[in-house]
Amino acid sequence: MAFDADRRQELREKFTEFAASRHPAARAELIEAHLGLAEYLARRFANRGEPLDDLVQVASTGLIKAVDRFEPERGLEFSTYATHTIVGELKRHFRDKGWAVRVPRRMQELHLRLSTLVSSLNQQLGRSPTVAEIATAAGVSEEEVLEALEAGQAYRFTSLDAPMPGEEAGSLATTLGDDDAQMTDVEHRVALSPLIQKLPARQQKILHLRFFEGLTQSEIASRLEISQMHVSRLLARSLAVLREAAEDE
Amino acid sequence: MPDEVQLVMPADPEFLRLARVTAMGLASRLSFTIDEIDDLRIAIDELVFGLIGTKGRPGRVTMRYALLAEGLEVTGTGTFEDGLPTPGLTELSELILNAVTNEHALSPDGPTPSFRLLKRRGGA
Repeated sequence: MAFDADRRQELREKFTEFAASRHPAARAELIEAHLGLAEYLARRFANRGEPLDDLVQVASTGLIKAVDRFEPERGLEFSTYATHTIVGELKRHFRDKGWAVRVPRRMQELHLRLSTLVSSLNQQLGRSPTVAEIATAAGVSEEEVLEALEAGQAYRFTSLDAPMPGEEAGSLATTLGDDDAQMTDVEHRVALSPLIQKLPARQQKILHLRFFEGLTQSEIASRLEISQMHVSRLLARSLAVLREAAEDE
Repeated sequence: MPDEVQLVMPADPEFLRLARVTAMGLASRLSFTIDEIDDLRIAIDELVFGLIGTKGRPGRVTMRYALLAEGLEVTGTGTFEDGLPTPGLTELSELILNAVTNEHALSPDGPTPSFRLLKRRGGA
């Protein structure tokens, strides 16, 4: 993560330009140029029970904040400023989410098993199953089903945009349908607000289908060819990210 | 008089899980589907965060869950020690809550800001 002198100077000039113009292309270029720093810092927090991919995502969020807030006229090197911001973001991630990710392996396994079971019950019943129906089909108690459902939320910050191991994945083509043309202007205005635009495309799509088109989680799961429980986790994740982003603004 | 469960918890997001799990357990007793239970979970998150913000605040939130014939009514009342304004709901939160509840309201003003939500069982 070291730039040569010419590149450093080029980036300094780019920051000055961005500070004046706030041009999205300059912003994107600055973010991209420093992704290596985010990854480097994320690696320093690896092996603490969180997948590296998620840490890189958290670090990248910190990087974006740093790019947006950096004031080049203060004379500080961006890498110094960004390191402070990114490490702060990573520490906050561990502090705030720490307990949520310590889920017993037994519950993780049950959660995975239920994910498949719920999909087949959905098909059999033609509707979303109740907890009692899931418990009967799985041969476990209702309390265990509830615990496993809630355990899924602990994955809010662990590989959420990817399916969990053993789960089916929807192709990009199925997640990025072309029916956005049906969105009304108002929906476009809200759905494409800056906060939502920061989310991965699939999460934007799921938010749109659930909150603007009014599809249930099971219907979304069917349309995107992923499990209902995966939809549930992605929604929880998206809302948590939006909430934090809104508060930071 | 409907059956009612109360939970008093610190106004800290770490305890939000308890509010959700309690709602899930009661919703399960009322034969909610898991789609409806997930809606309830999202609604509780949005409304509690509307009272305490994402970082929490000193004080407590009293959750009341009423098991109605038609579904589950949840109210939350905050008692805070910071004297700060209650965050309330954003436009996006309102949109989300409109999609996942049958009724909802949050009153951010006064000494004990509060919210209420009603989630009916499918078809009820």
